[in-house]
Amino acid sequence: MSLARFLLKRGLQGVFVVWGVVTVVFLLRFITPGDPISVIAPLDASPATRQAIAAELGLNRPLYVQYLDYLVGLLQGDMGYSYISNTSASARVFARLPATLELAVAATLVAVVLSIPLGVLSATNRNEPVDYGATTFSLVGISTPNFWLGIMLVLLFAVEFGVFKTSGRGITSARALSALATGNLDVFVSWLTYITLPAITLGTYFTALITRLTRSGMLDELGSAYVRATRAKGLPETLVRYRHALRNTLIPVVTVLGLQLGTLIGGAVITEAVFAWPGLGTLVINSITGRDWVVLQGSLIVIGVGFVLINLVVDALYAYLDPRVVSD
Amino acid sequence: MSDSQRDVLRVRDLSTRFFTEEGQVNAVEGVSFDVRDGEVYGIVGESGSGKSVTALSVIDLVASPGKITSGEVWYRNPDLAEEFRAERPDAVRDEFVDLRRLPKGVRRSLRGPGFSTVFQDPMSSLNPSLTVGEQIAEAVEVQRRARANPRSTRSRTQGYGLGKFLVDSLVPGRDYTGEESHERAIELLDQVGIPDPAQRAQEYPHQFSGGMLQRAMIAQALAGEPDVLIADEPTTALDVTIQAQILNLLRDLQQEEDMSVVLITHDLGVIARMCSRVGVMYAGQMVERGSLSDVFDDPVHPYTQGLLGSIPDLENPAPRLQPIEGNVPSLLDSEMGGRCYFADRCPKAMESCLHPIEMHDADAGSDEHEARCVLTETDYRPEEALPEGYFDGGDGDGGGGGRETDGSDPEAREEEVRADD
Repeated sequence: MSLARFLLKRGLQGVFVVWGVVTVVFLLRFITPGDPISVIAPLDASPATRQAIAAELGLNRPLYVQYLDYLVGLLQGDMGYSYISNTSASARVFARLPATLELAVAATLVAVVLSIPLGVLSATNRNEPVDYGATTFSLVGISTPNFWLGIMLVLLFAVEFGVFKTSGRGITSARALSALATGNLDVFVSWLTYITLPAITLGTYFTALITRLTRSGMLDELGSAYVRATRAKGLPETLVRYRHALRNTLIPVVTVLGLQLGTLIGGAVITEAVFAWPGLGTLVINSITGRDWVVLQGSLIVIGVGFVLINLVVDALYAYLDPRVVSD
Repeated sequence: MSDSQRDVLRVRDLSTRFFTEEGQVNAVEGVSFDVRDGEVYGIVGESGSGKSVTALSVIDLVASPGKITSGEVWYRNPDLAEEFRAERPDAVRDEFVDLRRLPKGVRRSLRGPGFSTVFQDPMSSLNPSLTVGEQIAEAVEVQRRARANPRSTRSRTQGYGLGKFLVDSLVPGRDYTGEESHERAIELLDQVGIPDPAQRAQEYPHQFSGGMLQRAMIAQALAGEPDVLIADEPTTALDVTIQAQILNLLRDLQQEEDMSVVLITHDLGVIARMCSRVGVMYAGQMVERGSLSDVFDDPVHPYTQGLLGSIPDLENPAPRLQPIEGNVPSLLDSEMGGRCYFADRCPKAMESCLHPIEMHDADAGSDEHEARCVLTETDYRPEEALPEGYFDGGDGDGGGGGRETDGSDPEAREEEVRADD
């Protein structure tokens, strides 16, 4: 099986997953308490008024018609109109999406850049001070709650030292990167002052997890028969470690990275709350408490699609790292 | 010993221990043997007898918690001897150098051109995520780069750090292995009888059958043009029909390349077919060694006799095969007394076996036939035999079980004794 066919197969599976998500999200409204009419109608609305609202929203049609209508709307990029926020759901969701993606990618970057070298260093210096330091760090990192870490970082670096901003997002990452490209360093640095703390807060758990995974994977690989055989043929230790052992260590690491990034797309609710980060997580919470069904549905679908897309990328990476995946 | 029978390797009193939580395990204890130019030397023993650890110790690949604790590994290499004669006189003797006294980098540089290894399980001994051709090309490339930098053997494995690795991996069109090495890898695959080698070189290990993969492992081992090829149970993981092909291949290559082979196996049939001389290992010690005919036709140590007695003889089939009763001892230092380690399973154990036993010349006819057994010096005297159940101690199995079976069949035992006298 070629790589293209493999990805096509996974892509088709992804389409079915998304369809499933859409269906569940659509039905969610009918199996949870509270109906959209009561949210919009005044408390003392007459039955006639309520019927008129239902007809206006199309809620008096049969369920399958509403479902098909919703599907057709989604295919056209229409997630429905939110009477609560008085705007289209897609406008609200896509206004929040970039902030979430930005934070998720930044946190993942922090994690990858720190954790993989740390894990490798830890494994290749087993039972030495570096290893003890790294394992202690990952234990602490895994067990520190996000909200506490976020608040502490704000207290220390934003309030006490004043290096970073306490909350908010500033400019978009696209503008920050174009500023960097045009040599406008001040703009880029100001962007960094917003994103650094939330990225570290969100990335710490992640870093700790991947450090552990890399360390234990690397130790396994370094003790394996093929690594011994690779040493026996006289290869320099650099190649034994990085060309052979690390590459195979990365296979499970990539899987976990993908899954984690997928959950981050759902929004890091706590971190977003601590830093008042305008992401999808806060939008989801707000639409639940405000009974803004249309926005909630839209957010969940976008999150589902994001998850599927990331898994597709992970599959492609996986196939690149492990040739057995494609040929079986 | 004539000139054509020069030694290439002389292992002396090699001991390797594993420092585990349960205690110290003496995996290899005082093992000595010589390997000559262009011979196949066999090391035979049960699982756990220390034969693989012996091989790993020679190539300095014993992994933690194992450690070579003593011994010398003399390797004939006139160039190295010249290089170190002034600097490390204790590590040089004539044309030989003691690998254990040389710097680690030098030992490492000998992997490939000095020694290379074929491991037991080819499926797990190749990296699953690199093509077979790439892995063989790596082995060629190491030596190619070493030759390109001939200042001294010491510099061979140095000079490839993380920086160069990153450049080679990230810059398109650059790689550790060059075109030449890939071509040579295909030649090597062809040499070990892999059909359509150019195509197979681009395949991954999981696309190979076990036999083909072992051929590829052998090709990889040949890449450095080694003086000594160490084959550690090269056929154990393979089907019987494939085993014969691999053994034939090994022998043909050994003759073509005129290299020495150390063949490690538990299979006496393989030894008989391939080796000129053989060492028998038991519980980390070499208990008998000599030429193939010394050991196979005229075994002195009761363990060797037991091993040979446990293979079926097609010409004079015995009604039942004779197993060696009991199990290999644990090799835990604390449980090994200062005695012959085989005494608890030996049908001829005597009081004199309760002391540490040295290697002795085993028979007057052959000056290289030696055994670690009191029977080389004295005849078996039934009146000095250890009482039944002597080694039973607290656990009640092992040696004791063996004694009982022996006792229930006194005729067979007597006959065996007579045959050996």
